[in-house]
Amino acid sequence: MKRREFLKKLIAGFSTVPVGIWWLAKKVSTPKFVRAVRFREYPGPLRPLADISKQGKWSG
Amino acid sequence: MCLIEHGQSGDCRVRINIDGVLRTVVYGYPCSIAIDPVEKKPLFHFLPGTKILSTATAGCNLHCQFCQNWEISQANPEDTPAAFCPPAKLVEVTKENRCLSLAYTYTDPIIYYEYTYDSAKLAKQANIRTVLVTAGYINPEPWKKLLKYVDAANIDLKGITEEFYRDVCSATLRPVQNALLIAKASGVWVEVTNLVIPTLNDKAEHIRELARWVRANLGRETPLHFSQFYPRYKMRHLPPTSAKTLDMAREIGISEGLDYVYIGNILSEAGQTTFCPSCKGPLIKRSGYTILQNRLRDGRCPDCKKEIHGVWK
Repeated sequence: MKRREFLKKLIAGFSTVPVGIWWLAKKVSTPKFVRAVRFREYPGPLRPLADISKQGKWSG
Repeated sequence: MCLIEHGQSGDCRVRINIDGVLRTVVYGYPCSIAIDPVEKKPLFHFLPGTKILSTATAGCNLHCQFCQNWEISQANPEDTPAAFCPPAKLVEVTKENRCLSLAYTYTDPIIYYEYTYDSAKLAKQANIRTVLVTAGYINPEPWKKLLKYVDAANIDLKGITEEFYRDVCSATLRPVQNALLIAKASGVWVEVTNLVIPTLNDKAEHIRELARWVRANLGRETPLHFSQFYPRYKMRHLPPTSAKTLDMAREIGISEGLDYVYIGNILSEAGQTTFCPSCKGPLIKRSGYTILQNRLRDGRCPDCKKEIHGVWK
């Protein structure tokens, strides 16, 4: 192996360490889940709050 | 995992990616609010005979081909009328109507997670109990966070094979089982529902396996509801579940050591009665969603004094 090739491999080897640390730090700091933000308006038709005293028509 | 491209909505139709920010379009916009008997959820061991304010928004993260509420669960919010009812208003309406509890139901509270979370937190402050009726298809972290503000949950266990979840529900079984375990470990009162669908999940061996899993992992005191299927959505070619099949499912559940096995969506005297697991006497008799008789005394059988698991007051 020539000196230049050896140095290339050495630099590549050392550069993996900070990349690895960066990857690990990113993984740890990434939130476990993202809370969605409320959208500015409802995209569908709006209606007033109807009579709610009746039993729901849906299952469950 | 549901990866949402820029400008697109997720699998649930109600969560969208706008410039890298996850947005919910249904926060504060329920498509249904109604007062139900708590037995309709179904919850048979949670404040029996009380009314529960029940709400839902459009959308769902599952796409069950047999969905009984597909008109709202598989609908786009653009096509679904909704009322403006922010969390504080929802809690206020619950109190105004003298409901002891508030249920997130009909579709799945997981897809309107932030609305559920914020209003459940407020409900707890107002001394209102909260209930989730869900398929339990959620990751552990958000689930644990939400459960801090939840008193009871009816979680669907739709089948007991990965194939069933994959082919019929566009989902997977393992996260649902994990959600059940986490809910139980969190101290939330858990009841389990299995919709029995002819030819799809009504084989005795599958029902036995499901009952065994519930018994082994959630405990014998966990109520298991076998519900009747009605032909809906993409399963209109199948007949409703027969009373005979439901009776068989109940018998299997009992033979596997479960203390409380019920039959739903169909009238059944034995299948809707809570029996004492010790002396076998009837304790709570129901007809549909109506309580005919409740003999429990301080959560115990009046005859043999056996403690009956549940939330009774």
